[in-house]
Amino acid sequence: MVGAFLYLTACSFKNRLRRRLQRLREPRYVIGLVVGLLYMYFTIFGRGRRGNTAAGAPALAALSGPLQLFGSLLLLVMAAGAWVMPGAGQPLAYSRAEVQFLFQAPVTRRQLVHYKLLRAQLAILLSSAIAALVLRPGSLVTGWTLMAGLWVVMMTMRLHLMGVALRRASLGAHGAGGLARQWLPLAVVLGAAGVLAAAVITAWPALSSASGADAQYAALQRLASEGAAGVVLWPFRALARLPLSTSAVEFWSALPAALALLVVNYVWVLRSDAAFEEASAEHAERRAGRREAPRAVVRGGAATPFTLAPDGPPETAILWKNLILVGRYVSLRTALRLLPLIVVFGLLARNAAAGGAAAFVGALSLPLAAMTVLLGPQMMRNDLRQDLARLAMLKSWPVRGAALIRGEVLAPTVVVTAVAWLFLLVAALLGGGLKPGSREATAFVAHRASYLAAAFAVAPAIVLSQVVVQNGLAVLFPAWVAVGASRARGIDAMGQRLFMLAGILLTLVVSLIPGVMAAAALAFLVYQLTGVVPIVLPALIVAFVIAGECWLAIEGLGRILDRTDPSAVEAVE
Amino acid sequence: MIDVQNLTKTYGAFKAVDRFSFRVDPGEVVGLIGPNGAGKTSTLRCIVGIQAPSAGTITIGGHDIVRAPVEAKRLLAFMADEPQLFEYLTVMEHLRLTARLYRVRDVESRARDLVAELQLTGKEQALPAELSRGMKQKVAIACGLLHEPKALLFDEPLTGLDPLGIRHMKQTIVSRGRGGAAVIVSSHLLHLVEEICTRIVIIDHGVKVADATLAELKARPELAAAGSSLEQIFLAATAGEP
Repeated sequence: MVGAFLYLTACSFKNRLRRRLQRLREPRYVIGLVVGLLYMYFTIFGRGRRGNTAAGAPALAALSGPLQLFGSLLLLVMAAGAWVMPGAGQPLAYSRAEVQFLFQAPVTRRQLVHYKLLRAQLAILLSSAIAALVLRPGSLVTGWTLMAGLWVVMMTMRLHLMGVALRRASLGAHGAGGLARQWLPLAVVLGAAGVLAAAVITAWPALSSASGADAQYAALQRLASEGAAGVVLWPFRALARLPLSTSAVEFWSALPAALALLVVNYVWVLRSDAAFEEASAEHAERRAGRREAPRAVVRGGAATPFTLAPDGPPETAILWKNLILVGRYVSLRTALRLLPLIVVFGLLARNAAAGGAAAFVGALSLPLAAMTVLLGPQMMRNDLRQDLARLAMLKSWPVRGAALIRGEVLAPTVVVTAVAWLFLLVAALLGGGLKPGSREATAFVAHRASYLAAAFAVAPAIVLSQVVVQNGLAVLFPAWVAVGASRARGIDAMGQRLFMLAGILLTLVVSLIPGVMAAAALAFLVYQLTGVVPIVLPALIVAFVIAGECWLAIEGLGRILDRTDPSAVEAVE
Repeated sequence: MIDVQNLTKTYGAFKAVDRFSFRVDPGEVVGLIGPNGAGKTSTLRCIVGIQAPSAGTITIGGHDIVRAPVEAKRLLAFMADEPQLFEYLTVMEHLRLTARLYRVRDVESRARDLVAELQLTGKEQALPAELSRGMKQKVAIACGLLHEPKALLFDEPLTGLDPLGIRHMKQTIVSRGRGGAAVIVSSHLLHLVEEICTRIVIIDHGVKVADATLAELKARPELAAAGSSLEQIFLAATAGEP
């Protein structure tokens, strides 16, 4: 059976590689490949040309302690998250073809698990190699120990996540009976969580009172390595220690413990009797058939954003449709993806706020508003990017291309603008308590109502321009745009995305120039006449000019869409 | 109602349809048949304006599909072989969206009738993920019929339907034809074509090889020897069997 699995893995790899090479016949992929290779070259080798090679090894050695600590905590979070996070059954995800061919073949459950491990090897080896190249520890010895260590860590985590997925499958399949079957791993996980929580509570006074990064690190290090918490965290420390070994001797001394953990997880996975086939088959269907479907089934009576009148422009109907998509698709996972960014901005805003919790929220809201305006249009894809896969159906509608695009760009613009406005409003309402240091910042706080009005005017225009550019790219280069939730892979695809990002930013800057110039001229005139620097009026002019540009762009794009052949929309991998 | 003149469709160097002409009058149900890769789907997609013809003209109710696409498409309905639905809209929401796009005023009553006709009662608030393939096909057809189109194009309309659904679908197609619509049915199910179509157009390698009623085809000297069933005639006309 291993021979069949090896054959399938090798053929899949060979054919995928061949397909990627074949698509290089198209100029867009060649451009993407060149950009991607240049990016990788400058990322991996660029630092060496700037003379930092020698600094790599000592820097890694100096940071080895903190990296081990935070690496072990990260592994802990991953392992714990697998028990509670939705979609953590992914290590057991099989494709529809795998379900079709392997699940009905005379293959045991254990062999299916082995197949999954075999398929993961290529990705794990490649990830380890790339991580070793990017981190560049500085010497050949630390290079191979880093790569080998990363392989052991990734493999162990893969096995562990697979084990958790199998236990979850068993719990899901047997309900209360599953609890009886899986009491030991559950008891271990709950016990470990309890020990860690107790240790953190006990050590909290010392942690919070430690002043300075060094003292905080030392307190954290003590917490992670001593007492009951040290025992709970030992497996994660043992794993994190391996790739961060600074010498071959250290690597060999850390290897037995890490390998033992790998073997324990391997045995744990193989001893599972969970019948995962049904859940995996369902997952494969869901993934292949309705990638963009709502996570939860929405029954009748589900709210729609507004009642669609039988009469009116088609743009409103398309807006209505795409707003429904937002309501039914936004999931806990989407919100969780934003959490790290919010935490980072919160930490940054903390320094700016010295006026209590309300001022802190106010200070946090401002960067969040900026982030929403700049990143929202990339993330909110309920427009033509989403509908491109159904282009044939859209083209059969009695709707002009321009009207179709106008309708498509409305929903993301409305949603992103609403979120940005909310943050701006919070910033304006709660920002009064801020005690900024500089004179300019003080003036900003004092005139925040005017700035709020200006931001309210400019935000939707900037959002709209980006959404139009994104949709324009979908019309002009449909094969470059990820259709639905699918994403092209490979260096050429990465290069295309970088190329597109640069194009989007450039277009945004260019689209701003006429409006900003007109607004600046008017502001100068008003200042000359009255001695007052206007804030709101120039913002309105900028917004108006950008809206006009977007209208013209959409008209042009509409004509192109009317001529677009749906077969040009290439199905990406 | 549907007038195709010298339609040519090329993909690069490959000519999928070559100077293909035919017309469908109101009340006619025309079967468009041909082997795999004959150019049927390309023809249908050109007629409904999804793809632009490389050459030739197509008019729907007098409106050129290239020059006046919106007016032409208002008269049309295309039921593709693979139902394309929005995964996040319920059955009723699909119908309301379609009604708005095609300017149908009495959507609720028409939707109710269609839901009943296509045996979708009880599924009004269901999402596509909750429907079988046959049900999805019915939803797509309900959306197509909602605006009472004057020209209907069905591409493999029976795929995924159960026996009762097949019977109802045949009745739906025939009743639309009798109601005065011009209907094109593209299918490999020759018994279906033989049963419900008033005329048959055979296309092979992008070229029209026959355009006549079944009786006229049977009477043709070069096909008479093949046999009396459409299957025998089709195989003889497309040289599928000596």
